[in-house]
Amino acid sequence: MYGWIWRHLPGPLYLRVATAFVLVLAVVALLMFVVFPWAEPKLPFNNVTTPTQ
Amino acid sequence: MPVDAPTEVIPRIDDEYDYDDDDYYEEDEKPELPPDGPVRKTVRGIGELLITAGLVVLLFVVYEVYVTDLISAGKQQDATLALDSEWGSNTVEPPPVDPQRQQKLNLIEGKAFAKMYIPVFGEDWGFSIVEGTSDKHLEVGPGHYIGTAQPGENGNFAIAGHRVGKGAPFNDLDLLGSCDAIVVETQTQWFVYRVLPMRGEVAGWGAEGKAKTPECAGISPLQTTLGDAYAKTVGQEIVAPTQGEVISAVPYAKGDAVPVEQQARLLTLTTCHPRFSDKQRLIVHAVETQTYPKKDGFVPPEMKGQ
Repeated sequence: MYGWIWRHLPGPLYLRVATAFVLVLAVVALLMFVVFPWAEPKLPFNNVTTPTQ
Repeated sequence: MPVDAPTEVIPRIDDEYDYDDDDYYEEDEKPELPPDGPVRKTVRGIGELLITAGLVVLLFVVYEVYVTDLISAGKQQDATLALDSEWGSNTVEPPPVDPQRQQKLNLIEGKAFAKMYIPVFGEDWGFSIVEGTSDKHLEVGPGHYIGTAQPGENGNFAIAGHRVGKGAPFNDLDLLGSCDAIVVETQTQWFVYRVLPMRGEVAGWGAEGKAKTPECAGISPLQTTLGDAYAKTVGQEIVAPTQGEVISAVPYAKGDAVPVEQQARLLTLTTCHPRFSDKQRLIVHAVETQTYPKKDGFVPPEMKGQ
């Protein structure tokens, strides 16, 4: 998977390294700002309330 | 004149150790890689996926413990600024002299209406309390259970807060001991609540040394002063997530077991327990011991760390 991506990056080495870095940052940002905020309420460790009667 | 001896050239000694290992000398020659068949590709792909999944989980921990703190800090600051400007802009009449007549606060869901301080957690521990306890509200700061009493009212002023991430206002709630002060500030008044005696302290409360310390003045197990309806209301308890009765006006009591006029003025804090889990809830009960009207430059003596 990673090998395949690396082989398909265009340009000389320094450009490939830069592109790979940007790709990693994009994935991290996607996880941090979209995926995790969506998934978090569904996970069982941050409920702090009791039902109101 | 001493002359340095000429440098002796020591002949290089070849390593003649016999390793008895045929592979030793062949290490430099890379073994021929077998051709990249579909099996190798699949196995490598699965391996890479698993490593990636591990990294994502680690990243989630970082998100949960640090990044949500940053996001919540911004929201809490906005809420506090809004509250400060509201308090600064509109003038309200001083609170009624008759302590039985409390001024009703105008609570709007999602908006901060009071600030809370726990001096034993340090002078910098302070949060604005918002109305409402949904995820969205609790991201901003501790949230007031809608429909429970307001500060200073008879009944139970109940607040929920996160223990891990999102500012973690109630991170150290388990460390609160009996008689520790929890100070609530509204636009017009200061309310000082103190944590009730713990379950183990109730029996010998009067005799114990702690009950005689100045912090504990006016604190006694509610059962002895207000009767058996309050028998289960102690400083700290750990309950199941479904036990909503801990935030009832009279905890564990149904409806009008105690008439409103005779109810204690409680403050109840709820958070998750144990840390990083939502298996149970950690509950802290405190009782109002003191109120002060707000005046310029006045800070309750309880606010100074103990």
